[in-house]
Amino acid sequence: METRLTDFGIAGKIIRLQHFTNTQAIIEEEIARGATAIVIVGNDKTFGHVLSRAASSSILFGFLPVGQDNSIASVLGIPVGVESCDVLSRRRKVDLDVGWFNNRYFVSQLHIPLADITIQYDEKFSVSSKNGGLELVVCNLQPFVWKERGGKEYVVHPQDGKLEAFLRPLLHKRLFSHKFEEPSIFPFEEMIVTGTKPFVVSADGKESKETKITIRLAKNRIRMVVGKTRQF
Amino acid sequence: MFQKPSSDIALSQRSSDGTPDDVETVVGPSVHVQGDFASEGNILVKGSVSGNVKTSRLLTVEEGASIMANVKAGEALVSGQIHGNVTASTTVELTASARIVGDIKCANLVVEAGALIYGKVAMVGLKDLVGEKSEKKRTSRRKKTRTSLPSEAHDDVSSEEDNMGDV
Repeated sequence: METRLTDFGIAGKIIRLQHFTNTQAIIEEEIARGATAIVIVGNDKTFGHVLSRAASSSILFGFLPVGQDNSIASVLGIPVGVESCDVLSRRRKVDLDVGWFNNRYFVSQLHIPLADITIQYDEKFSVSSKNGGLELVVCNLQPFVWKERGGKEYVVHPQDGKLEAFLRPLLHKRLFSHKFEEPSIFPFEEMIVTGTKPFVVSADGKESKETKITIRLAKNRIRMVVGKTRQF
Repeated sequence: MFQKPSSDIALSQRSSDGTPDDVETVVGPSVHVQGDFASEGNILVKGSVSGNVKTSRLLTVEEGASIMANVKAGEALVSGQIHGNVTASTTVELTASARIVGDIKCANLVVEAGALIYGKVAMVGLKDLVGEKSEKKRTSRRKKTRTSLPSEAHDDVSSEEDNMGDV
């Protein structure tokens, strides 16, 4: 991959990330030193780790997906492996909307597994489940497809200036399995999720426990090099 | 055997033809929405909504669903219950299971046998006719009042003339 990048005349400083590396501080430092683009090399976890903090930096981002768990790459139209260098060299730039929650950004999706939560949308209406528990998925880049029983499919495409929230209320609680209802869909610009107990929040594969989160859409926050086959 | 609740909800699935569907907001059967609920796109209600619902496009209220407030939509297809006024800019279609307690205001109304309405129905198409009739009624009322009180009117005019003369 490095040889291919050199062929395209792309070269620069390589920084290896650790678990507790503050990516925003590193990127700000490199911008001050004259960096014009940041290329993330890794999988979804690396992508989320860098952009969860660094999305506020005003610099061009590129992504070279390597290894397993690369679902975001296909959304961005970037092939996994050496071919991604070709996409990077073409420099097709797009401003991406990203989700924001509790001072962190998420690019692809945010997931809250089954929890006793109440959701307030745009300070106008609140949504709760009659049976108690709810599972929540907020989509930003990835299109969401909900298959109905009759074989009909509802496709919700992001990038319309709103985030899409998919709620799956719990229907029956069993010993080894839970039965969920078909998802409810709500487009929104801001939502507040509150829980009586701390609940797990997984944003771009990174997990944390929260009792209250505010999710918002940050429009055109990231300028990124994407492929022709992107899904938005 | 030990099936856990799946974390990804059909995120890996893709549409077969890739065409976007019109449904944008879906309220599931066991979901309760409280507060004023507005959307720019289509709304499909399968659960319960306690608050005003507003959309410029199609509102579908499925059987078993209920809305406990006023509804404003571009078009409405109702199979559930609505306790409030329904206003649609084009068509309101009521299926056999529809129950509406409130007034309906629309351009076209389609009612299937079995649907129940308790309220007034006003349709935009007859607005001009109703307007003409009311205008005629008003003019006839004015004429009647004039004929019944001719001397008073004359007195008023003469008194005005007198006042003008004084100035």
